[in-house]
Amino acid sequence: MSALVKNIRSLSKSSSYLRCFSVRPLTVAANKLRSAPKHTPNQSLFLTTTQRLVLPHERSYSSKPPLSLKLIADRVILVLQLYDKVNPEKLKLESHFINDLGLDSLDHVEVIMAIEDEFGFEIPDVDAEKLLRPADIVRYVADKEDIYE
Amino acid sequence: MACLPTGLTTHTRKVQSLYKRSVRMLEAFYDRREVFRFQAVLMRKRFDDNTKITDMIKAKALLLDGEEELFQNQHWHPRKFPNSPGGTAYGREVIPPDWVLDYWHPLEKAQYPEYFAKREQRKKEFVKLWEQQYGKSTAGSGHH
Repeated sequence: MSALVKNIRSLSKSSSYLRCFSVRPLTVAANKLRSAPKHTPNQSLFLTTTQRLVLPHERSYSSKPPLSLKLIADRVILVLQLYDKVNPEKLKLESHFINDLGLDSLDHVEVIMAIEDEFGFEIPDVDAEKLLRPADIVRYVADKEDIYE
Repeated sequence: MACLPTGLTTHTRKVQSLYKRSVRMLEAFYDRREVFRFQAVLMRKRFDDNTKITDMIKAKALLLDGEEELFQNQHWHPRKFPNSPGGTAYGREVIPPDWVLDYWHPLEKAQYPEYFAKREQRKKEFVKLWEQQYGKSTAGSGHH
């Protein structure tokens, strides 16, 4: 259970807090926890709730998770694998979104938005239209974050 | 500067931009993730219904209708990324432009001889590349 909680915390640390400045009231989160199906009914709800409530204190540090080219590539690939219109077996760093993976232009917008949410900065439309392969996205993110190795 | 319109954009790009802004608008309105996803799927359906239209007049009218609807349904406090214009950290970190280094005092430059030697070399290469692309500069020699 604690491993699960830790996973959830690291996931939310990586992406979500970077762009929310209007903090969602914690009651919403607590309600969500209560309504979510529980895998381990013998564990008390209190434990998970306290773990959830600890999060905002960690949010207040302004550091980002460390990045390298490999970590960026892993995160980009993970985001794309979780997208339901992409076939994870065909997905490679060099595969073209439209020609190889069969996405259309609106799917491409959704991919770009998912990448924005993952890395916490905006990708303007002018740049987004050039990011047609996962490798391009990795390169773009690395350039933005000043990562060269 | 990437946000400035520098040329003509195709219809597809305009629709893509409208779709992105619409979904971001929904994200600002619907705070809970599952509700937002539901609304986003409905929005996607509305766009998908009109993908097959080949009549450009009709497609353009639909695009304008969409823009108008987005304008009428704006959010009063949309979410912004921290470093985007309007975000909480916009302009917090000032990156000095590259030409500032050219105005260092020679004594200061002498403290980093290797870097400035390489920099002069790069400037020469850049001028060469520029002249190769656009031809010789016609400006007077009094200008630096």
